[in-house]
Parts: sequence; structure tokens; C-alpha cells
Amino acid sequence: MKYTEDDLREELKTKEYEYGFYTDIESDTLPIGLSEDVVRAISLKKEEPQWMTDWRVESFRAWQEMIEPEWANVNYVKPDFQAISYYSAPNTKPKLDSLDEVDPELLETFKKLGISLDEQKMLSGVAMDVVIDSVSVATTFKKTLNEKGIIFCSMSDAIKEHPELVKKHLGTVVPQKDNFYAALNSAVFSDGSFCYIPKGVRCPMELSTYFRINQANTGQFERTLVIADEGSYVSYLEGCTAPSRDENQLHAAVVELIAMDDAEIKYSTVQNWFPGNKEGKGGVYNFVTKRGICEKNAKISWTQVETGSAVTWKYPSCILKGDNSVGEFYSIAVTNNHQQADTGTKMIHLGKNTKSTIISKGISAGKSQNSYRGLVQINSRADNARNFSQCDSLLMGNDCGAHTFPYIEVKNKTAIIEHEATTSKIGEDQIFYCNQRGIDTEKAIALIVNGFSKEVLNKLPMEFAIEAQKLLEISLEGSVG
Amino acid sequence: MELKEKLIASFMAFENLVDIDLPVHDVRSEAIKEFESQGFPSKRDEAWKYTSLNSILKHDYSVFPKLENHIDYNDIKKYFIHDIDTYKIVFIDGKYSSHLSETTHDGIDVCLMSSALSKPKYRLIIENYFNKVATKDSLSSLNTAFSQEGAYIHIPKNKLVAKPIQIVHFSTGNEAALMLQPRNLIVVDENSHVQIIERHQSLTDNPVLTNSVTEVFANKRAIVDYYKIQNDNQNASLIDSTFVNQKRESVASVHTFSFGGKLTRNNLNFYQNGERIDSTMKGITIIGNKQHVDHNTLVHHIEPNCESHQDYKGIYGDSSTGVFNGKVLVNREAQKTNAFQANNNILLSDKASINTKPQLEIFADDVKCSHGCTIGQLDDSAMFYLRSRGIPEKEAKALLMFAFSNNVMSSVKIPEIKQRITKIIANKLGVNTGFDL
Amino acid sequence: MLKINNLHASVEDKAILRGINLEVKAGEVHAIMGPNGSGKSTLASVIAGKDEYEMTEGEILLENENINELAPEERAHKGIFLSFQYPIEIPGVSVTNFIKTAINETRKANGLPDMPANEMLKMIREKSEMLEIDRKFLSRSLNEGFSGGEKKRNEIFQLAMLEPKLAILDETDSGLDIDALRIVANGVNKLRSKDNAVIVITHYQRLLDHIVPDFVHVLYEGRIVKSGGKELAHELEEKGYDWIKEEVNA
Repeated sequence: MKYTEDDLREELKTKEYEYGFYTDIESDTLPIGLSEDVVRAISLKKEEPQWMTDWRVESFRAWQEMIEPEWANVNYVKPDFQAISYYSAPNTKPKLDSLDEVDPELLETFKKLGISLDEQKMLSGVAMDVVIDSVSVATTFKKTLNEKGIIFCSMSDAIKEHPELVKKHLGTVVPQKDNFYAALNSAVFSDGSFCYIPKGVRCPMELSTYFRINQANTGQFERTLVIADEGSYVSYLEGCTAPSRDENQLHAAVVELIAMDDAEIKYSTVQNWFPGNKEGKGGVYNFVTKRGICEKNAKISWTQVETGSAVTWKYPSCILKGDNSVGEFYSIAVTNNHQQADTGTKMIHLGKNTKSTIISKGISAGKSQNSYRGLVQINSRADNARNFSQCDSLLMGNDCGAHTFPYIEVKNKTAIIEHEATTSKIGEDQIFYCNQRGIDTEKAIALIVNGFSKEVLNKLPMEFAIEAQKLLEISLEGSVG
Repeated sequence: MELKEKLIASFMAFENLVDIDLPVHDVRSEAIKEFESQGFPSKRDEAWKYTSLNSILKHDYSVFPKLENHIDYNDIKKYFIHDIDTYKIVFIDGKYSSHLSETTHDGIDVCLMSSALSKPKYRLIIENYFNKVATKDSLSSLNTAFSQEGAYIHIPKNKLVAKPIQIVHFSTGNEAALMLQPRNLIVVDENSHVQIIERHQSLTDNPVLTNSVTEVFANKRAIVDYYKIQNDNQNASLIDSTFVNQKRESVASVHTFSFGGKLTRNNLNFYQNGERIDSTMKGITIIGNKQHVDHNTLVHHIEPNCESHQDYKGIYGDSSTGVFNGKVLVNREAQKTNAFQANNNILLSDKASINTKPQLEIFADDVKCSHGCTIGQLDDSAMFYLRSRGIPEKEAKALLMFAFSNNVMSSVKIPEIKQRITKIIANKLGVNTGFDL
Repeated sequence: MLKINNLHASVEDKAILRGINLEVKAGEVHAIMGPNGSGKSTLASVIAGKDEYEMTEGEILLENENINELAPEERAHKGIFLSFQYPIEIPGVSVTNFIKTAINETRKANGLPDMPANEMLKMIREKSEMLEIDRKFLSRSLNEGFSGGEKKRNEIFQLAMLEPKLAILDETDSGLDIDALRIVANGVNKLRSKDNAVIVITHYQRLLDHIVPDFVHVLYEGRIVKSGGKELAHELEEKGYDWIKEEVNA
């Protein structure tokens, strides 16, 4: 039987979420709803100091005054913020010195996800800070990192153990009142990762965090803060996957990156939240604020592979404050079925001789809508700023859409900006050519999609590139190899 | 009184001047309500994010200039393309000037909107076309509410209109501040060709605000070439909205040359209602001082096998600001669409700025769409090369700017317009060279 | 090897091939010549199984098996190779990655395991040297930004790697300078054996000086109107196609 593009499309439509299982772990969950009392209760449960409680309450009060943004090119039923539980922690508190003491069911979950700690530890040399629901449950490689003076821990621990660093930097890149979801996150963030690389230190391994939404009706509000002190380097990996749920789950994370003079941060994400079923029911709402600030000669590079979520709203950004600083954004966004993605980046050039590169690849299939939204802003003092942007879209099928909204604002005559965008489909000719060489249509599409995404896949650290390809594969039905 | 309130109040006065029993008046009444509810656009509106009307809305504009003004042809000859024979529809302070005009009813209708709106012989065309493609945004609605005068052009089937048609609006400055709302309707029937040149010109430095709406209908296989020359003095502002509705196999192009004015906003919308349509929109913008030019374009690909080409070049000096907001929308049915959009800009000064937002919204899969946008400076090495060959700096600069705009000039089909534009640019750059484009 | 009986094919209801009969035996080289628009490239595409052509009559047999209903990749798995007149660009997919996928898919279809990496590398080295292909070339995106000559050389490289039973070279000489033509022809000649066969489609006899055919067929208006030995190609080069047309129309 011949496998045509139509067959593939049909198969894509009937694809169910592979990781759609639910781990039954007893959870300590706060009653649903949000009020100042709940915010205080979260802080209390987490045994936070007073300044942190005050910070949260301040954020909550600001959030109450704000309205939900509507400008993105997405349609969804707005979450009912009073129907969400804002805190849940697995009841079985694992001991960090041995994985054997971790709830076996939890380990089983990791296995299904293909991210068994053992395997990760043994094979890839990746330190893991695993977040299941909201509380970190395992941390490895702490010792190696300790020797270098690198701090890599959960945000809760950081607040207790390194209050001076947290206090100094938290909210400096993404202020509490930055936007609706950032304010919400600032009020109720459950946990997340904290990372500090001391002056001149090159972090010897990829730092990695896996996130996971598990408990029904539990919003996830991670808070990540990465500080690379002068002349340091760190590569940080973030990946996530979520079990299938009928209700929409809200995910509103905030990530702040601080690259001080001559520092470099590489932040890579593979995102595979539950996208909803083929009717578009369920799925995660992913409203994320990610931003980094570059001081003199610093560099921040965002790489992301987005295959999941029902609705995605995400613009990892760089503020190029210091002279000669560099910002990069490499992204693949795949949407299928009823998924909607409005993603892109902002490159704010403030310093002289600043450079930014944007490579965005969107692949749309099914009935999905995929939008690129970007801002390149060259301020009046940013002499000799350079930007190159390329946004390519690949369409599969006739029910999906690809949209490009690049904003370019230039206030300095020495700027050089180049922006290119293309939209195309997988050509019949390309498929026939592959067929003639003995490659069937499904494999051919996989090859073409992989080729289309290559410039971005190449930017991922090796271990992650494999995972990313795996996720592309799942999103486009096992066709990518 | 704020301008909005003043305009709404003036509508009643306007009703005393026009025949309110005509069907078109219902359209006007609807439109004033629309304007009343929307008000003037603000920077909060996405389409006006980079252009603020505040500075031009503050004047106390006269809405109905009373004076019948006369101008001598020799004083204003230079504003016409006068070295070729053309039809002319000329307005002074919004009123038709018969002695400056050359209209016709010989096989084609090149005449006035006011008579087309009132005379029975035009009723069918008005019913079928008037306000049928203009959008209901606030400024177009405002124009519709006060629509009374402007150009009316109807070219029936199979006519090749031998001479270009010039539509020229003068303002004399007899009013301290004047607001004009010309309304043009151009209907080109099957297999006919027409070329149109439009210009707005103030004769003094008194502020003028023109809110113009033009509807163009290019029916099956029609060819419409439209040229807009915007070189007004720097107290005049223009909001020019042009809506082009195309039927199958028609070819329409609009070239916009923006050199003058305080604030110029060009809304240019093309709707492709048929197969194998070709749409072209091109522009050259060269401004300085505190001038502001905003090009807001839309090409809506509705049916399959159509093409669109956009090419806008901008050169910005002093404290001027440029905006390009170009949208290509491809419907699901519009397979095999080819849509190209290019926007290239040069900033000459530290205080000049450009905001550009090229957008693609694609719902069909078998399409070829691309856009490219660049912002840069004149090429230093090219400058040096020219100067090392003995060309002085100013001339070298001009030469490079001409070269930069050449793509747009090459598709201008009336040689006299090319010459005129070349002259205006040379003048603007303060050079006197024999550049030929 | 290949037997074509009374083949009719059309595209969008327009008949292009109108009764082709052709038999190609193992070890033979056949040249198919003809004026522009005679149906040469259509014949190649129909043998390879391109979708847009509809076979309205007749049959194609490969080693006595009817392949009418087979998908293009199944025909490829059975050993049919088409060198495209206009090779297709696939951005981001390297030549090496592409050929690796093609070989392993073909092996999989024939019940063989993937070719071991070292064997694959050795083969790539050998074949690329034979065709004087720079190694850097192999890491470039398939056909993207290739010159006309590079595209054709890449086609023959894939031919060498896939070792098909029947190779169809569709206008392989177009866009090749004389040096490149010689390299390509040498490559094809080295691959010839008593077990495989080649069909060369060309408008000119130049390529046939290098790949010497056993038979020459002239295609005109969808039919083979004349067949002969290699001397027929010279005759066509000298006299053009008009005399054939006259003969047919007479």
C-alpha cells in the first residue's frame, strides 16, 4: 500500500499523547482559589523568610490590578484563577543521598519519560534538579558543582541558603509587575531552579531541570534564576512533558538570566507539555516570561524546541545592555491538531556594538496556528548594532496557518538590520525524489522536516539534540529519524 | 471644542448643504455613527502604534470653506504633469474648479463625485460600487460621512483610455486651517486600461489636513495604473486611504512617492476577488526635518493563482520617522499564491528612526510567500569608490540613493512621471545631475 | 530485465505516451532520443512511477514482474534508479545523510540490516573518488546551491552508491562541460556489468560517444518510431530530427 501525504496527515490527526499517563502520588495540596491568605500560606508552608513573603504579597496586590493580555494571536478559554490550586508537594519526601529512597512510582514515571536519573547520571553526566509538581525531589552532582563554587539548587533552598543572592537579583530582569502572568508567578511561584556560577568559572557540565505537571488542577509556577558572574560560562537545559488531562492546566513560569561582564549563558529548552487531544480538548496553557540581561561583552543564547502545549505564549528575550554584548534566539515550534503557538523573541539593543541573531522555524500541521512575533529594537545610543533575523514556516496540510509579526524599531542610523521570512510547503517534487531513491513518504517528510529545522537543532547540546529530535518525531508521528 | 465633537456637530450643517433624500445619505448617516463610536485612532490601536495624530488634530480646522477661490493656471502649472496631454479633475479648497479641469463624457466618464451622487444616470454605478470596498475604520467612516466631492471615473468595457487622468487638490490657505475630505470612485470595466495620477498641494503654509478615500474597482482583465505624488509643504498632513478591489485576471498597481508633508499616512488595501490577479504596490519615501510617513498596506489573497508584489524604499534624514506596516493575508482557498514583499530603508541621521512590521498571515499550504526587510546606511565603500573617481560627496550620495530607489522607478510606465520624480528627488537632495532612471 | 508493452500514459487527460514497446536485457545500454516534447522524460517518470502521470494502457515488467501498481519507492527497492533531469533541492539534508537513508531503507525493504557505518564510509570514499567528488561536497545540503554539473555528478554518485539493476539517465548531459561529462560517463561505464542495464535519455549524441549504446530508439509523438544501432545516433546528430518527422508523417 502506498503511503501518501494524506495518509500521514490522517495519522497525525489521530495521534494521541504518548506520555499521557498519570502517576498516583499522594499530594499535599492547598485548597483551590487565590487570595492574599493563600499567598501567605504558600510562603508559610515553604518556611520562607519575611522579605520573601512581603515580596509575594506585593506581587499579588499588583497582579490584582492587572488585566489579562489579549494581543497574542491565540484563542482560548481564559483560566479561572479561583479554580486552581496553587500549591502541591509530593508527600513522600525523598532523601537526596540515594535514589532508592525515592518513591518507586516516581521512578517509574521517569522511566516512562525516558529520563531515568540513573541513566542520566551514568551516561550523560547531566546534573538533575527534578521538579515534580512544585517541589524539587532529587538533586545530583552537587558535589562536583560544590567544588567549583557553583550553586545549583531549588529556588526554595536558595531562598533559605543564599538569601543575599536571591534578594539582590530576583525580579531585576523580570520585575514583579512586568506583565499579568509574571505578576501572578511572583505571587505564587512554587519552586524552580537557582543557579549561580562564580567569577571566571566554566561550569563543567550541562545543568538540567525537568519539569512535570502531574497533579490535576495544579497550576505550575516555576521560577528560575540563573546568574553567571563575570567571565563565567554555563549551559542550562530545561525540558518538560506532562500527563494527559481533560481540564486545561496553566503553566506560567518566569525565567531570569543575568550574564555579567564577559559571561555567557546558553539556555536550551525542549518543551512537550500535553497539547490537548485531537479535538483540541485539554492541554496545557503555557504563558511564560523568559528574559535575560547581558552586561559588557556578555552573551545569552536561547534555543528552544517547542512541540507541546495547547496554547503557547512565550518570548525569550535579551536585553543587550552592555557594549559588545550578543543575544541569540534559535527556535523550532511545531504545532499540530488544534495547538496554537504565539512565540518569538525580543532583542533590545541598548549598548554599542551589540549583535543579535534570530532563527525561527515554524512547522504547522493539522488545524493548528503557528505565529512568530518578534521585536528588534535599536535604541538611539546603540551605535553599530547588528541584527539578522530569519523566520521560516513550513506548512503541512490545508487547515493550518503560519503567521509572522516581526516588529522592527530603529532609532540609530548606524544600525544594520536584515530580516527575511519565507513560507513554503513540502513539495510533491521533493517527495517523489526521495521515493525514487527508495525512501517512503513518511520518512521523506521526516527528512525534509529535519533538514528544515537543522540550523536550530545544531545549536542544542548533543544530549539534548537527541531528545529534541525525539520530540519532533512524536509531534509529527514517528516520522522524524 | 475637540475636533471630533466639532465634526459630529458639523454633520448637521452638512445635511443642510446636500440632498438628504438620496440613498447615499443613509450611507453617510451610518458612517457618522461609526465615527462617533470609534473616534480618532490612538497609538493604542495596533494599526496606529507608530503614528500619533495628536499634533495634527489640535488645529481648529474649517470644515466647510466658504470662499470660492480662483487660482491662475500659470501659478500652479508646475504641480501638474504638464508636458503631456491629460484629463484633469481639479479642486480648490475642496470645490471643483471647472476652468482648471478637463473632464469628459465621451465614451468614458471622467467627472465629479458630486454630480455622480446626484444624477440618475450614475445611480446604478453608485449603488453597485460606492462605499463597497472602503473599510469601516474611523477615518474612512469620517470621510464617508462627509463624502460629497472628488473624482468620479468610470471606464466602460474594452476602452483604452488614451491620456492619463490627473486628480489634483489645491488648498489656497485662505482659511487659517483647513480640513478636506475628498472622495474618489474609480470603476474600470472589463478589458479596459486607465492611468491615474493624484496629487494634493497646499499653496501656503497654513495647516491643512486631508482625509482622502479612494475606491478603485478593477473588473475582469482591467489594467489600472495609479500614481500618487506626495510632495506637499510641511504644514500639510495627509491621510490617504485607497481600497482596490480586483476581479479575475486584472492587473493593478499603485506607486506612492512620498517626499513632502508633515504627517502622511497611506492606507493601501488590495482585495483579490478572482483568479490570476496581479497586484503591485511600490513606494519611494525620502523625507527629512520632522516629517513622518507611514505606509500601511494590506494584500488580501482570497482566490488561487494570484500574485502580489510589494517594494517600498525609504530614506530618512534629520529627525524624520518612517513606518512600514505591510500585511499579506492568504486565505485557505488561495492556493498557488505568490506573494513578495520587500522593505528597504536607509537612515541618514542619528535622529531619524524607522519602525517596520512586515507581516505574513498564511492559511493556505501551497504558497510561496516571502518578505525581506533591511535597515542600513549608504555603503561606505561604494561612496569611497565614487569619490575616488572624482564624484563629489553630495552627488555620490545622491547617485547611491537613486540606485537604491531604482527598483521602484523601473516599473513606472509614464516616462514624464519618472522624469518628474527624478527632478523632485534631485531637488530634495540639492543636486543637479543628469541621472537617468 | 525491463519489458514495456504497449504503454500509454497521459497527464491531465492529455495523452503523452501512445503505445511504447521496449525490451531491455541485462548488460545492455539503450539510448532513447527524440525531439523536444516527444515524451522522453515522461517515459522515464512513468517507469519510475511518478504520480501525476496516469498509465491508461499497457504494462511495465521488471524481471517478469508487473510493476504497474507499485509505489515509486517500491520500484526503487526493486532496483530502478532515475537520474533526474532537474534534481530536487532539499535544504538542510546533507548528501551523506540522504544517501545513508536511501541505502538503509532499500536494504530494509529487501530484508537486510542497516549497512554498518564503516562499510558505508568505505563505499562513500570509493565512489566519491571515482567521480572526483570533493569530500566537502558530501556535507552540503542536497542539491541546494549546487551548480548544474554538481547536481548531475551527485545523481551519478547516488547511482553508484545504490547499485541499481536498471539506471535511467534523463538528460544527464545537459549542463555538463566536457570534463564533467567525461567523469560522469566514466563513472557510468565503470558501473556497467552483465547483470545491470542502462537507459540513456538524451537529445544529443555527445553523451553517447562516451556511454556507447547497444541500441538507439527514436521517440516521436509518444511512440518509438525508429530503432537501430549506435550509428543511428550519429545520423540524427548530422541530419536532425526533421527527416524522422517527415518519415512518420508521410
